Amino acid sequence: MIEKLFLTLATLALLHAAYSTYEHLSLLKALGKPEGSLPLDIVYESILALILGLLGASLNAPPLKDITWASEMKKRTIDGMDSRLGFAHYKSRGKFLFASPHDAKI
Amino acid sequence: MSLQSALERLATYRANNTRASQDIFRNGLLVLQKSGFKKLGDDGWTTLEQLTLASIDVGRLDIADQCLQLIADNFPNSPRVDCLIGIRMEATEPPETALKYYADILEADSANVAIWKRRISVLRRTGKVEKALNELVQFVDTFYTDVEGWLELADIYASCNQYDHSFQALSHVLLLTPQNPFYVLQAAETAYTSEDFSLAIKMFLTVVDMTDADDSEQLLQESTPLGITVRAWFGCARRIAQNANLKSSSNTSAPKNLELLDELATERLRVAYSSSGQKGEIAKGRQEVFAWVATPLA
Repeated sequence: MIEKLFLTLATLALLHAAYSTYEHLSLLKALGKPEGSLPLDIVYESILALILGLLGASLNAPPLKDITWASEMKKRTIDGMDSRLGFAHYKSRGKFLFASPHDAKI
Repeated sequence: MSLQSALERLATYRANNTRASQDIFRNGLLVLQKSGFKKLGDDGWTTLEQLTLASIDVGRLDIADQCLQLIADNFPNSPRVDCLIGIRMEATEPPETALKYYADILEADSANVAIWKRRISVLRRTGKVEKALNELVQFVDTFYTDVEGWLELADIYASCNQYDHSFQALSHVLLLTPQNPFYVLQAAETAYTSEDFSLAIKMFLTVVDMTDADDSEQLLQESTPLGITVRAWFGCARRIAQNANLKSSSNTSAPKNLELLDELATERLRVAYSSSGQKGEIAKGRQEVFAWVATPLA
């Protein structure tokens, strides 16, 4: 929950800083001195947005998975490893076992 | 059950090669009804193929025909589609028709792996095991790296009680996939069945090594063996210690400290069956296992 809050705040702060920069530059252009420096609070706002965004993205990451081969093997089953699907028999009792009663024609 | 979770399940089944046809059919039908296949692109066709095979398995040939029509319309001359048509034919037509169909395709292109496998499968299913065996031996000679072929060969030999030949086929599997503990377990159990106990113990312990090896932080006493590790410990316990003169047909040297090994295996099995599952329930079969490991050696 808090991760999404951080991410939203960071995005809003960044957009706000960007808009303020645009407004400030238009103001400078109107005043005739386009070389003016950016006010510090916009800089602080963008850095804050960066930090909040980093925190939010790290906390929002999906849960970590194991990388060892042994842990992957723990999740498999013998039936999966021995299934030999290329040689599987498709004429089986499945037709009778899984058919619902009303479409059985015995 | 949402579309997303259904697709995820289908993808997991595809990755793990499981043959859970009923579940695949249920999930796949949901995706089909919500016409989710079009959005997936290339993956959609593999999923559709998976649904086709599952519906044939479950007996819902109407859905199978529908999916097959969709696939065949989109991929006119594909060998993979030919294979699917063959499988559909196997489900309803007599086996001779299917065999003739496969023979026609193999005449045109004799290296068609999928069709050759289907042919061998039909031969085995209709009882012509020797013919299937000969074809399969030719097949694995031609396509050495096909693990499925070697596994099927091992299975056919084991079903005819020729465990030595089965073990030889499994040794090729082990060469091809040395990192897979399941095949080592299968080889160990085959060796055990053909009474080559030294080799069997060696392989059972290899399985334990492969599956339980990342317990370096915890003490060995604290870790519970799970899954196929338990099966491997079963192979090491009890019976082996009785046969003092372990004659091994593969000339494997007998393991030293057999009694200690027996003790260790017994202790590991006790630990495995003592752990309680959810809600504190007792492991199934715990009493039988405890009784078995406690019987004195005759």
